[in-house]
Amino acid sequence: MKTKLFATLLTIAASTALIAADSPAVGTTAPDFSLTDSKGKTQTVSQYKGKYVVLEWFNPECPFVKKHYGSGNMQKLQEEFTAKGVVWLSIDSSAPGLEGNLTAEQANAKMTEWKTKQTAFVLDPDGKAGRSYGAKNTPHMFVINPEGKIVYEGAIDSKATPNPSDIANSTNYVKVALEESLAGKTVSNANTKPYGCSVKYK
Amino acid sequence: MTVRANVGGTFASRLFLVAALLVTMLCPARGQKYEGRELVQAKLLADVTAVVPGKPFTVGLLLHMVPNWHTYWKFPGDAGIPTEIKWKLPDGWKVGEIQWPIPLKLDEPGDIQIYGYHDEVLLLQEMTPPASLKDSTVQLAAEASWLVCEKICIPGNANLKLDLPVAAQSTASNEEIFSRYRRSLPQDWPAAGIARATWQRQATELRLTVESAALANYPAADFFPVPEANVVVGHPKVERGAGGQTIFQVPIETADKNLAALNGIVVFGQNANGPGRNAWALESTPVIASTAVLPGNLARFLLFGFIGGFILNLMPCVLPVISLKIFGFIQHAGQDRRRILRSGLAFVAGIFAWFIGLALLLIALKSAGREITWAFQFTNPYFVVLMSAVVLVFALNLFGVFEISLPQFANRGVLGWTAQEGDAGSFFQGVFATVLATPCTAPFLGTALGFAFTQSGWTILLMFLAIAAGMASPYLLLSAQPAWLRLVPKPGPWMLRVKQLMGFLLLATLLFLLAVLGAERGVEAIVWTSCFLLALSVACWMKGAFIVPTASSGSRFVSIGLMLLLVLGSAWYFIGGKFAAAKTVSAETQTQGGWQPFTPQLLENELKQGHAVFVDFTAAWCLTCKFNEANVLEAGAVREAFERHGITKIKADWTNADPAITKILKQFGRPGVPMYVLYPGNHAEPILFPELLTQNLILEKLETVSPNVAVK
Repeated sequence: MKTKLFATLLTIAASTALIAADSPAVGTTAPDFSLTDSKGKTQTVSQYKGKYVVLEWFNPECPFVKKHYGSGNMQKLQEEFTAKGVVWLSIDSSAPGLEGNLTAEQANAKMTEWKTKQTAFVLDPDGKAGRSYGAKNTPHMFVINPEGKIVYEGAIDSKATPNPSDIANSTNYVKVALEESLAGKTVSNANTKPYGCSVKYK
Repeated sequence: MTVRANVGGTFASRLFLVAALLVTMLCPARGQKYEGRELVQAKLLADVTAVVPGKPFTVGLLLHMVPNWHTYWKFPGDAGIPTEIKWKLPDGWKVGEIQWPIPLKLDEPGDIQIYGYHDEVLLLQEMTPPASLKDSTVQLAAEASWLVCEKICIPGNANLKLDLPVAAQSTASNEEIFSRYRRSLPQDWPAAGIARATWQRQATELRLTVESAALANYPAADFFPVPEANVVVGHPKVERGAGGQTIFQVPIETADKNLAALNGIVVFGQNANGPGRNAWALESTPVIASTAVLPGNLARFLLFGFIGGFILNLMPCVLPVISLKIFGFIQHAGQDRRRILRSGLAFVAGIFAWFIGLALLLIALKSAGREITWAFQFTNPYFVVLMSAVVLVFALNLFGVFEISLPQFANRGVLGWTAQEGDAGSFFQGVFATVLATPCTAPFLGTALGFAFTQSGWTILLMFLAIAAGMASPYLLLSAQPAWLRLVPKPGPWMLRVKQLMGFLLLATLLFLLAVLGAERGVEAIVWTSCFLLALSVACWMKGAFIVPTASSGSRFVSIGLMLLLVLGSAWYFIGGKFAAAKTVSAETQTQGGWQPFTPQLLENELKQGHAVFVDFTAAWCLTCKFNEANVLEAGAVREAFERHGITKIKADWTNADPAITKILKQFGRPGVPMYVLYPGNHAEPILFPELLTQNLILEKLETVSPNVAVK
């Protein structure tokens, strides 16, 4: 029954011809959104003009997300860069009824359980923000500069596996992009192929 | 695994098969459980009942997915990761690349496109056991890991084993499933007559145009890209054009401006995504199987560069100029040591200046995205004309027709390499010797330069410095230790005769250059160049006869005017007009001695049919090539062996820098000609020969080609 319902949903979704959404190119203005976070506050990209903003697409059930949270890798990055004044928004674009969709309470519980350090956890159940960014994976990462331009888009790191033991030997592209940006340099590797689970849109 | 009765097998091996079957059944593959269901069942299959030592066979990883779940293709698309197989094989075993059946293109909400497999897939790999296999049974073990997704994604893995008996012969096994999946593998790109593919880069988009009536007839066509790891591509779009054209547009999201082509497969059939589809594999390079550039550390390659530079001195094209320098040393023997050292250093500086200049030019061209190669300047006919003129002028100078003088040194008298050799003369001699050296890619230099051309600008520069140092080393030594010159004869009137003799050596070089021009532009080009050279000779004679210190300034003025008129006028008329109009010689007219002229299609077709092919990469200006051709490739024993083994002989003439040939040279990591490649047939890996051939070397390798596969 459940599968049948899902299949129907899928067919409807596919036949309503979703607007093609390639990610906005690096160097262009980051699309704005206005969404509620898990604490009930409104979050927009524009309110953070003047600061670096990291967007991280999130799905707690995805093995690739678990790779980076289970190992503490993502929390460490969040902690390091929010301490340097970077705004970190985790965004959940899973549609209701699909994997990874969280209510505000569930999101807060997950944040406590995983000891996450992001600035805010943004809820995007109808996938509007996800689609406007062309977010395809969890985790799919964006770095936005103080002028509101995208300076990095792509994977979290260089090893596209769900295996936490690969983290130690991989290059963390987001860390490099932030370090280069904060040092006033241009990002050397500004666009990589994101990897992970697909974002569970409706 | 399915076991068929092996009639030829012994009782023991049959017993073993039963045991192996039991073991396989008792150790089921471990997948992953989700809501009580095993999502993926994995096992290994072989297409033979037994392993025959040295004889390749195919193994397959069979994945069974529960309905609606999928695993991924080698390029997963927007999400997911490809299935991986890590083999733990006994010593001496070789395993080929995974052969992936044509995947399904699956769309997920949010414009997410992935490439993968539903229900079942068999990933094929060729296994080659060692010929020396002695055991009675073998165990092939692999760890397979995959990501399986439906609404959610779950990674899984399994440690799998395949036990097989070893026997003198074997019969086919698992025929149905292997033949089913072999049919769903992409095929090699067809001959140019059936489908022609061209890539075009338009800003952030790569456009693949396939001209094929066969493809145009199918209602569904698509391109599944296989980009390199650092390339991000968008979703390809398909468009049907006029005249059997199908156009695929692939957005490129990464900033790499040099990316000009992608690997991938062109998929076509009655339906876009159902069974019964076919695919052609498109490699961004026309020839299969390229060998990688030899790995190695920089220091070793610099040493090769140094040795190669030293050997350049002995190359036939350099000898005339080098003899001039040695002559200079003879002349100065017994003179002031410091003077000898200075002249030697100036010569060495000339060598370095040329190599540094060449390195900088190559780096500039490389960063501009041009295909670069060694001796590329000789592929330009105007450069060859200029070289001919320079060689002739120097020869006339040696004959004593005129003396070279440079105005700013006029008070010091006559310069050049005659009675009083100046530093400037030595410097230009160094440059000249080196310019002539480049068309001979000496042994060692090929490997070293092949390595350098794939490296950064700094490495290229370092490499050229190493070559320059190698070439300059004997002169530096002789200049620093003139005592060693005591071994050579004392100066005397005999030197004038030797000088004239050297002039004839230069004339021989001139003949060679003219032959190069003839090969590039035909007989007409030789005639017009010779006319220009004749006018130039007259100008040189006028210089020697009338522009002398005793002549009045008026007659000198008139003479200079006439000389300039003669040189510029003949250059304008013969070179700018007649020579420029001479047509490039077409390659088709040059077929001789069973050699076919190279085209990418010819090579591709021959290889596709499993023929053994030998390709001679040559150029008219390459003396090493001519030497190899005359003494090895055209030698009786070698010709006979080529014939006996039924080898297709192809001559790839790089005289005019054919870009299709440049591409193949680069695939083999070689910067220039000569290059010799033997494709042993039946799609085996090509064999690359060293730059200097010997008959034995060729004959030995030819023995590896089994005659029965090569019969045409």
